[in-house]
Amino acid sequence: MSITTIRRSSRAWGRRQLYSFFSSLGTLLSHRLSTLMTVLVLGIAMALPLGLYVTVKNLRALDLQQDQWGAITVFLQSGAGAEQAMSLAGLINQDLNASAQVVSPEQGMEEFREASGFGQAPDMFDDNPLPWVLLVIPEPAEGEELKELVAVLDAWLQNQSEVDLVQVDFKWMQRLAGLLELGDALISVLTIVFSLAVVVVVANTIRMDVASRSEEIEVLSLVGAGNGFIRQPFLYSGFWYGLLGALLALVLFNLSLYYLRQPLEQLLDAYGNSFVVQNLGGKGVLLTVIAGGLLGFFGAWVSVQRYLREIRESGMLGRR
Amino acid sequence: MITFEHVTKRYQGGAIALRDINFHLDPGEMVFLTGHSGAGKSTLLRLTLMLEKATRGQVYVDGRNLSKTASRHAPQVRRRIGMIFQDHKLLSNKTVFDNVSLPLMIAGMRYPDIRKKVRAALDKVGLLSKEKSWPMTLSGGEQQRVGIARAIVGMPPILLADEPTGNLDPELSRELFGLFRQLNTQGVTVVIASHDLTLIRSMGERVLVLSQGGLVDDIPGADIAGSAA
Repeated sequence: MSITTIRRSSRAWGRRQLYSFFSSLGTLLSHRLSTLMTVLVLGIAMALPLGLYVTVKNLRALDLQQDQWGAITVFLQSGAGAEQAMSLAGLINQDLNASAQVVSPEQGMEEFREASGFGQAPDMFDDNPLPWVLLVIPEPAEGEELKELVAVLDAWLQNQSEVDLVQVDFKWMQRLAGLLELGDALISVLTIVFSLAVVVVVANTIRMDVASRSEEIEVLSLVGAGNGFIRQPFLYSGFWYGLLGALLALVLFNLSLYYLRQPLEQLLDAYGNSFVVQNLGGKGVLLTVIAGGLLGFFGAWVSVQRYLREIRESGMLGRR
Repeated sequence: MITFEHVTKRYQGGAIALRDINFHLDPGEMVFLTGHSGAGKSTLLRLTLMLEKATRGQVYVDGRNLSKTASRHAPQVRRRIGMIFQDHKLLSNKTVFDNVSLPLMIAGMRYPDIRKKVRAALDKVGLLSKEKSWPMTLSGGEQQRVGIARAIVGMPPILLADEPTGNLDPELSRELFGLFRQLNTQGVTVVIASHDLTLIRSMGERVLVLSQGGLVDDIPGADIAGSAA
């Protein structure tokens, strides 16, 4: 084959692709309602994993404030006074790998007044009912090490006679870490399941397309169209379904996020985190769109391979 | 251009459509294929177009042995043949222009060239004014002519027609046959299956006569012309 022949045939190939590309768009547009239904199903299917992904991503952003999560709150007996609190704090600071901060009942009341929004209500108490509190923050450490450190502190504190209650926030961190891990696993499972759903939905839609256009396939084949030329428009249709589904998923997802953002940020503010809800990010958007298109293409491919063969074997194009 | 060597076609179930058919067509020849319905005319055309495979014997088209050609190469064979179908085989969801342009789209031709050639083909069958019409809005004869335009638009070296004048009036039929002859003089090998004996006689071309799946007569054009005179 000479260079010119190759060039000519590759140009012809390009023009055929272009033709298939536009003819597939035309088909989708001429069946607006059914296209819309398919895209809607795909959009919802793809929005679910997206939602979970961003939820976990946001929880992870919370997780970054690890020093806070490792904190231990120690409530002293109501009989214990400033002296005992100070000496206990001194012991902790000296002997254990942690720093202790003393919170007096007055400071506690002040914080409660601010955080609870009850205003002057706490003034109704004659005496301050709050005990002395120690805020113990272990030295920065990671994972297992921190866990051990907290366990030692916990055990030691429990044994002190002045101590009434030891509240370990670390447990929350552990639980959160567990939840995040579960979230990751769920994302993987959901992504696989819903990717499969996308492939199946597109495959089924394309199967119906192939069936409803069997006359066209027959005629194309009679006037000399090869398998590629017959298959191509369906593959592009699948690609469009997937792509449009992904775009719709992004729209649905962003609408939900827009609606949820304010209450979510308020809730997190109440937990003392000045927190900005994170979105998917440019990379995530790009990945979603690409994945959608590819899944659609794949679904169409699976379907077209199968049903074109079926049409051929049904003898419509002759028994060969 | 087209050669059948001891070709037998038996359909599933045992019905024999063609038995031991032998003939040879030179490039640029024009031939009529006649016989009662069910004699095997359509089967013969379908074998040539690779829509069927011969049970026995060899079919050669354009130098290629179809019995030894894989069905994935069928498109290459079909692109060398313009086929006119009895039931037109037009796409109802495409305009006349788009229907006629299909073979050129498949060939991956540039759009300006496609435009030029499609309009030339439509002009040849007298339907240039209908290029934007939908096939369903046309009469049977007009639809048939759209099918003819589609068959000739790619200028294939072989033209096959299955009862092209099946539901046309004699006037239009004569006109169509005139068009086929014109294409033939330009070097196209033309095979027309028809049972319109009056018209066939008036053409003075070679005639192959099929009966019950067998080739019972092969009359040279000179003899036909003699009988017409």
